[in-house]
Amino acid sequence: MRNTLLSLLALAALAAPLSAQGSELKGKFFFKKTCKTCHTAGKPGKEVTPLTKTQAQWKAYFAANKHNKGKEKLGTGTDLKPEQMKDVMTFLIQHASDSPQPMTCGG
Amino acid sequence: MGTIRMDRRLFLKTAGATAGAVAATQVGCFKYFKKGRSTAADAKEIPTTCELCPNKCSAIAVVEGGFIRKLNPNPENPKSRDMLCARGNAAVMQVYDPDRIKQPMIRVGARGEGKWKPVSWDEAFDYTAKKLAEIKQKYGPEGTLWSSTEGFQEKFFVNLGQAFGSPNIVRHPTLCLASVNLAYGTTFGTVPSFDMLNSKYVIMSGANRFESIITPDTMDLIGSVMERKAKLVYLDPRFTVTAAKADEWYPIKPGSDLAFILAMLNVIIAEKRYHKDFVDTYTLGFDQLAEHVKQYTPEWAEKETEIPAKDIIRIAREFADAGTRALYYSGRRSSWYENDFQMRRAQAILNTIVGNWDQMGGMVPNASLPKGEFLFMPWDDPKASRVDEVKTNFPLAAASDGVYLKLRENVLSGKPYPIKGWMVYKQDPMNALPDQGKTLKMIEDMDFIGVIDLQMSDMAWYADVVFPESAYLERTDPVEVMPGIWPAVVYRQQVVKPIHDTKPNLEIVQGLAKRLGLSDYFDYTIDQWVEAEFKDLPIPMAAEHMKKHGVWAATGEAHYGKTLTPDHRFVTKSGKIEIFSERLQENGYDPLPVYNQIAQPPADRFRLILGRVGYFTHANQSNNVWLHEFMPENDLWINPAPAARLGIKNGEYVNVASSVGSVRIKARVTEEIRPDCVFMLHGFGKKSKMQSLVYNVGASDAVILETAWDKVSGNAAFHGTFVKVSNA
Ligand code: SF4
Repeated sequence: MRNTLLSLLALAALAAPLSAQGSELKGKFFFKKTCKTCHTAGKPGKEVTPLTKTQAQWKAYFAANKHNKGKEKLGTGTDLKPEQMKDVMTFLIQHASDSPQPMTCGG
Repeated sequence: MGTIRMDRRLFLKTAGATAGAVAATQVGCFKYFKKGRSTAADAKEIPTTCELCPNKCSAIAVVEGGFIRKLNPNPENPKSRDMLCARGNAAVMQVYDPDRIKQPMIRVGARGEGKWKPVSWDEAFDYTAKKLAEIKQKYGPEGTLWSSTEGFQEKFFVNLGQAFGSPNIVRHPTLCLASVNLAYGTTFGTVPSFDMLNSKYVIMSGANRFESIITPDTMDLIGSVMERKAKLVYLDPRFTVTAAKADEWYPIKPGSDLAFILAMLNVIIAEKRYHKDFVDTYTLGFDQLAEHVKQYTPEWAEKETEIPAKDIIRIAREFADAGTRALYYSGRRSSWYENDFQMRRAQAILNTIVGNWDQMGGMVPNASLPKGEFLFMPWDDPKASRVDEVKTNFPLAAASDGVYLKLRENVLSGKPYPIKGWMVYKQDPMNALPDQGKTLKMIEDMDFIGVIDLQMSDMAWYADVVFPESAYLERTDPVEVMPGIWPAVVYRQQVVKPIHDTKPNLEIVQGLAKRLGLSDYFDYTIDQWVEAEFKDLPIPMAAEHMKKHGVWAATGEAHYGKTLTPDHRFVTKSGKIEIFSERLQENGYDPLPVYNQIAQPPADRFRLILGRVGYFTHANQSNNVWLHEFMPENDLWINPAPAARLGIKNGEYVNVASSVGSVRIKARVTEEIRPDCVFMLHGFGKKSKMQSLVYNVGASDAVILETAWDKVSGNAAFHGTFVKVSNA
């Protein structure tokens, strides 16, 4: 399951320009549905929330398109569509640790 | 019979019969209930969670023969400290209240005339869905407003508004605590708890904790002040119960608390009494602060606050000496003045420089607990932007909560677009917002108003359709994690079946969603929702545990200092505690708190100030049969000197007039208030005849309060109204 857990974002999202705004609301849903299955305290992917990174770090992370310590591309093994990936990115950036509206668990 | 009967007389005796006895009230309740826990053989004890105020205390309902006989406090919840207050006990009468809305109703007379037709649920849903669809057709989904107040089922209502496509969800924070949340959030990236249990020195600006109950702060403060002899310095224009219990009370000039805090900063920095190591390691902007507060001397502050400079200096020294166990308490309802955000920021900064962050007896970032979540289909984002234009006017405010008073101004002006439908969940904007005349105008302008509530509030009285919600003791709600120094998770489960034709909010939302074509987003039951939430709780057999106990809490020693590592990143722009805030500066606000004098009343007027007592929080609690006995009618506190000048006698009626309205209310002539202020309690002078105990009895503060708000957070400024008082 580690593979599924860690490959939270679809590679195809990178086809979309990073500056384009996705839906924060949908991003929260896809983040929870896909990413959080692994990135939760006590699970192999360890806890990840929007606060895990700053806005710049999230942007760089998506631009690099790497996951699982660089071993695979973002989204490997998930069924996230490009626009859904963009939604996740929007959600994480909007609520990053240095954002005006930081959010812990996304709830 | 084994059970102690909880009749009205015993309740009053137990819960304390006067305003001044609230501290004793809790001790009294506590002892009584400890003794009273034996129950009759056929009695069931069902743990649940109180809903009468936002504290969410754990309760155990004693049910005999299908009736709720009484409620006991549940000792397993560390936050409620084995306490149920007077309001919590009176929740029994929320269920058996003769004034309850007993079935759905549609208005048949003019708005506010009180002519209603009882209808079936289908009829109420169909009618409402038709009206909402018509508004959507004509004005778009953004033509509807969805306003709600805090509660475990509020999320379902908010979700319905969002799924409908409206960006105009407005929640209660800007009528309550938005400025304090934003100020502490801006400084620390989070809103901490205050460890009153272990503090040695507490300063409170008007947060009347002995009467305005916040758990566990109220009980811990009682313990601190009465038992451990912690020092309490209290600033308030009114001699409240907290003032009576404090070591020092200063009837500060209203609106000048910021001057007092800035002068404390001046003294502590000038005398190098601040916590240098902490400031150097964890904060940003101390040098700018030191320069900035040089102007705010104690002698200057004496003129602003009317607190002697020598006392300000002494208090500053004592506070700094108590160091990590000194607290400038934040308060909760921080809707006072137009400078409220900056006043709370100054408190946060003062706490910072004595190094009380994440220390025993100081401010402690909240611990939380994991909880599962029921995931449901997300809807599309709304196409229109918010009618209150939060992003432009209040760029740092919580956009998802909205800014209520700005919203009302925009709705009344019809700009940037018209709002014609108003759905309300358990809120009474007629009494919660200032200037009732404006709220009435807004009501008049609506094509449709639907209200979900237990009682016929004044808002419901002016609605077109009312949907009766089941009382909390009649329903099961989502699970709630309560972050804190000792985090807990609480569960509210059904204690008795609904006694009238009422429904839980989720079912009301689902009934509407079905007719609005939005069923896919609400395709679950409360049991499925709750089961999903139980899943990730850190408790073995979580569902069984929560049903049996109603609460689970982390036990053992509190953990302090988790954030005190050099590599800890605070959730702020810089990653440090921000004494100087670049984000504020970028958005056109003062990056350090700047003092601007607020207007003082002319000689022939008084400043109207508000507050709460231990037995009423929300406007609807004055109509609770048991609570009403504590205070059948509100009155106006006025100092004897101006009362004599105006020929006003104690107990006689006076007229109180502001620029927006006037009310008639009994005078209480008392030394316990400054001569330039008057005070009244909220929740009286109702327009709804189905609030029979307080219909036309006493006066509503909402009629005379003027509209004003804090510039940064948008929080209502309720203490800026000047009134004339004359014999009626
Ligand atoms: S403080 Fe009182 S009203 Fe509030 S939750 Fe606790 S018992 Fe209920």
